[in-house]
Amino acid sequence: MIIRLENVELAYGRGWTLSGIDFSVPEGDFLAIVGPNGSGKSTLLKAMLGIIKPRHGEVKRAPGIRFGYVPQSQHIDEIYPLTALDITLMGRYSLMGPLSRPSRKDRETALGCLSDVGMGHLADQPYRNLSGGQKQRTLIARALACESRVMILDEPTNDMDIAGEAAIMDLLHHLHKEHGMTVVMVSHLLNVVSGYAKNIALIIDGKITVGTVDDILSPVNLATAYGTEVRVADMEGHRIVIAGGTRC
Amino acid sequence: MLNTFQDPFMRSALMASLIVGAVCAYLGVHVVLRRVVFVGAMLSQVSAAGIGLALLFGLNPSLISLALTIVGVIIFSFRSTDRRTTRESLIGVGYVMASALAVLFVAKSAQGEAHLLDVLSGNILTVMPQEIMYMAIVAGVVACLHFAFGKQFLFTGLDADTARAAGYRSGAWDLLFFLTLGVTIALAIRLAGALLVFGFLVVPAVTALLITDRLGRAYGIAIAAAGVATFAGLNLSFTKDLPSGPTIVAVLSVILVITAGVRKLCH
Repeated sequence: MIIRLENVELAYGRGWTLSGIDFSVPEGDFLAIVGPNGSGKSTLLKAMLGIIKPRHGEVKRAPGIRFGYVPQSQHIDEIYPLTALDITLMGRYSLMGPLSRPSRKDRETALGCLSDVGMGHLADQPYRNLSGGQKQRTLIARALACESRVMILDEPTNDMDIAGEAAIMDLLHHLHKEHGMTVVMVSHLLNVVSGYAKNIALIIDGKITVGTVDDILSPVNLATAYGTEVRVADMEGHRIVIAGGTRC
Repeated sequence: MLNTFQDPFMRSALMASLIVGAVCAYLGVHVVLRRVVFVGAMLSQVSAAGIGLALLFGLNPSLISLALTIVGVIIFSFRSTDRRTTRESLIGVGYVMASALAVLFVAKSAQGEAHLLDVLSGNILTVMPQEIMYMAIVAGVVACLHFAFGKQFLFTGLDADTARAAGYRSGAWDLLFFLTLGVTIALAIRLAGALLVFGFLVVPAVTALLITDRLGRAYGIAIAAAGVATFAGLNLSFTKDLPSGPTIVAVLSVILVITAGVRKLCH
């Protein structure tokens, strides 16, 4: 197991709680955490990373395994005069001594990570000048640079057009399939994650239900979670989730 | 210009201004990037309140000012989780409270309001060699800490959550950063006054960040701008019989306006 949550209770927002969280993320999984806005998806992700402490229960992470965290790209303040390479190098910081500065090897590794995500040619570009998709790729490169085996992402396709969404999801799929990376991601885009994830954790009324995509993405589960009528259709092998009643 | 600095008191003022300018300009880049510009103003006023408190009770102004500033830093460095208030509003509250206390303490002290102007606007021309030595020591310690832990300050300032996920104690690094800032301000304000210290913290950093996309260069440009303004400002102050601190700040502002204008023309 990469991560094990045992009877975890989390508090977030104004008195909201997630309780009875009890599930594991096995090595090699591709888990998508989904749920309505404000349901505590990002809070759960931060608890899995150890950024916030649970009110009750325990979050166990496999020892010796590094986690690469990819926050929402808008969390990176663009006022900082940093290049894509500078940002990626931050992924190396935790591997250096407290007093060390980035070495040539660190720079080469960071450049390699940028190349892996198709950003090698933009390494010297200011981060603030990059497009939304390029910024997201840079943050994924930073997560790779810490030699992580687990990638944890918070809404990696936020504010992207459909081509950008597909490109980022294809990149994550590539890292998962070709590099054996365990992927845990938060998303509110059910149609996007359903085509890539192996398992889904759906937050319903402060509780979490985890299972395969087929088990979780049922009209009944989704209608309960989102409080609206939901239909799930199949189109040429792709699962399509449609919310709301029948319209003309 | 060289004639200006033949008098010993002007050489002392130059040395003190260069040290304060360099360390504040460097820290100012961090302050502007962290979007806590007014924390500099707030800590300046907290430090001034400490001086006022010391004058009121006949205590050592430097020690009390330093102690009060450190307390202010510790309180400020806690990240509020209450969504009904923002960090900016807390800085504003701290600023007005400290400003009011500084005025009240000084007004009630034996030295009275005659001392108030020196506390708030400072007088770099009356600086003593021992004060310059203390400032140089503090600047050296700050420089060493930032050289050693620059990556921690940068990472936790830019992206506290990811830094925490990578094993950094973001709160502790924030506290250390603001302690270096607070101690610098507490000492610098005794030499240069609140106005000049705040000017050195903000204007050179904004000037630098307008014209470069590289962090390393931003530090260099900010320090250079503070140095040029110090030379020109003290010279103007001496030849035109103007107050030194406000003149240096005026020159810093002229450099910023020219830089912004040139940048606008080039783009």
